[in-house]
Amino acid sequence: MSHHVTHLPHDPPRPRGRTAPPAGAMAGALLALALGATALPAQTDYYNTDAGRPIQVEDAYAVERRAVELQVAPLRLERSHGGVYAWGVEPEVAVGLLPRTQVELGFPLAYVDLGSAGRRAGLAGIDLSVLHNLNTETRIPALAVAADVVVPVGSLAADRAYASVKGIATRTFPWARFHANGQYTFGDEPSDGDGALGGGVAELSRWMAGLAVDRTLPLRSLLMTGEVTLRQPLADEADAEWSGGAGARYQLSPRVAGDAGGGYRFTGDDRGWFVTFGAAVALGLPWGGR
Amino acid sequence: MTTRTTTPKARSRALALLAGVALLGAPRAAAAQWVTTYEQIYLQAPHNWEFRNRYQGADRLFNAFDYGHAILYETLWTRPTAPASALEEREYDYLTKQVLVRPPRVPLEEGAIAVRYAQLAPEAKQMFDWAHILHRQIYDVLADDRLSQEAKDGEVARLLAYYKSRPDLAFSSRPKSMVLMQEQPYSLAFRQRYPKFNGLIWAYHWLQVGLYEPLLVGTTSDARQGGVRATVARFWQMLADPPRTLPHQMPMTAAIAPEFARRYAEAAIIFDNLHSMHDVISDILANDSVPRGRKRAEIQLAARRYRDDTSFVMASEAAWRTMARHMGVENMGGPSVNFLAALPTPTVSYGAVMRHDDRTGEMLGLSYGKLIGGHGAHGAAAADTIAATPPEAARDARGAARPSAEPGQPLHDSAAGHGAQMMELHERMMADPVIRRRMMADTAMRRALREMVEAMPPEQRAEHEAHVRAMEREAADATSQAPRPATRRSGAARRASTPAKPKPAPTRPPADPHAGHKP
Repeated sequence: MSHHVTHLPHDPPRPRGRTAPPAGAMAGALLALALGATALPAQTDYYNTDAGRPIQVEDAYAVERRAVELQVAPLRLERSHGGVYAWGVEPEVAVGLLPRTQVELGFPLAYVDLGSAGRRAGLAGIDLSVLHNLNTETRIPALAVAADVVVPVGSLAADRAYASVKGIATRTFPWARFHANGQYTFGDEPSDGDGALGGGVAELSRWMAGLAVDRTLPLRSLLMTGEVTLRQPLADEADAEWSGGAGARYQLSPRVAGDAGGGYRFTGDDRGWFVTFGAAVALGLPWGGR
Repeated sequence: MTTRTTTPKARSRALALLAGVALLGAPRAAAAQWVTTYEQIYLQAPHNWEFRNRYQGADRLFNAFDYGHAILYETLWTRPTAPASALEEREYDYLTKQVLVRPPRVPLEEGAIAVRYAQLAPEAKQMFDWAHILHRQIYDVLADDRLSQEAKDGEVARLLAYYKSRPDLAFSSRPKSMVLMQEQPYSLAFRQRYPKFNGLIWAYHWLQVGLYEPLLVGTTSDARQGGVRATVARFWQMLADPPRTLPHQMPMTAAIAPEFARRYAEAAIIFDNLHSMHDVISDILANDSVPRGRKRAEIQLAARRYRDDTSFVMASEAAWRTMARHMGVENMGGPSVNFLAALPTPTVSYGAVMRHDDRTGEMLGLSYGKLIGGHGAHGAAAADTIAATPPEAARDARGAARPSAEPGQPLHDSAAGHGAQMMELHERMMADPVIRRRMMADTAMRRALREMVEAMPPEQRAEHEAHVRAMEREAADATSQAPRPATRRSGAARRASTPAKPKPAPTRPPADPHAGHKP
């Protein structure tokens, strides 16, 4: 999952700048790890969707047990109605530690141009999440629960941690698959001055509800998807925001899946469009096997 | 005519009773649908995807096979009233003329193809997926030129241990009796109604186990490449005139790939059980006598039986090998290496059901189908008989399977009655050096001869073994003196297509191994 505080209410005006991947050692290390993965090939799955890749609504399945999935530099570009562009990248690693359970760690990296206040680059928190799939789909839809915490680590992080819980359902028909997500975030409304944070990979909200539909072309290993989401910002007085998005996931090789998508925020203070690109490499845990 | 009246109180009681039944039943029904099986990634190892890297054509075919299996189950489950042509013509043509011709680049997500089937029996789907992972990982090991044979043995053992670490998914490594596959109330429905598609699935399974053999017996990388190409070409040959040219029996690994089955018996048994359960699920789905509401339960029951080590188990590995031998490699598409140019002629009608002794594996007779011209039937007439049989069987196969279209024949009793004559005929044939040379040049016949000798009583075996050795020496001498044909296969084909004229036995055959048997 990829959620971190990006644009809190009472923020100063949204940073009129760009976020970009820093040339930090962490990004380099993650990229090197991902590229080095070719020596330890495994299989990833375009069919198992993940939040933010390319849309926010995800399916109810965890990565395979003993799988390690690396989200290689997922990139997001936003353009708000004021003509401001924002960049963000959030490398992640998801591990299928237990049956039907994945633990995921994300490192949202940001580059913010604050205009006269200068430019800042750094880590915008650490995102730790757990997703547990409750059942495989039969006549009963597949269900999952997830918990997520954004830890205030890094120069661009919030000053407090935010925890969220999420419920997920997936129902498959021969002609399409549907996913419903509902999420709630705990924690006080941030005080004025809590930084303009993160790169806009995703936004944390008091609550979020979303519905997605996808259609698969199995012989081409291609999935096309679209979503509608409604979110309430953490500030109670802010209006709920409607967004729509669409994208595709494609199996590039047995171990690499790519994704691309885009969307539009129809309402709220921050209307505008976004596009996202990414790739995931899956490996197996190199130890054990029993 | 009487009119029954009910009081409000009685109605309330009845409603309460109905509600109670519903409340009691609902959780049970929901529990039956609450499935917690899960996927697991394959064992991480340096040899991962080695087969894909080195044998791309064959690897892609396996991706196409995934589609065939998935669309089969989805069609059987979602379109029970569809005409047989939906699978036999439309899907078959699509598979053989498009999907197999331009196979997918990557392994497919079968859950996206067989959506409803995956919801019906996710546990069985996971069992197949898990066994297919083992299949592919063993290809990787055998395809890895960096590994010595000992290292490959070690890796296969490691893969098997990893496979068994999921007892909820792993097929038993004890050989299962054919009774579990062919003699259940629902058995045979699929092969009878859909002979072409059933034969195609058997051809898939032939290649899936058969491809291990060239990877194993090839001593160099070039030999393995050539062997894999030849085996894949043989698979295509099977599709030439379906169902006549398709396997007539489920391919058994011990017959198709004997060296693989000898070296990795446990894996071979697992794959036979896997392929057997494929057929069982097809039968359950295809057989109208299994109500739709029972199909999931029947699939689960079959899956449990294939996982456990106690249900329908044959007495020994030797019995499993004997059963495979008695089923006849010629009925399974033939061996996967060192074959002749022409496909072997089956000796049983399409989809015939043999009964075997579970203790010894020996065939006891046929409970369905028939022998085609006996063991000597290698001519066109026999082939015509084969071609005519399946469609007729298919026409009346809708609904319950015919448990015994023809009563079983006690073949061994019959054979015993002709034993002396057969032996005499055999000895006279072996007296002919041309026949001896042809026999020694045909690896299948040679293997059959060796196995026949091994099965003899000890008091006769030594003598016959000496004869076989003498024949092999004779063949080796002839080979070293004669100019070699351009290729082994073309030479064999030439020999097969131009049978030598029978010659009288020489008066003094210097190396006649059967001289001692002459009257």
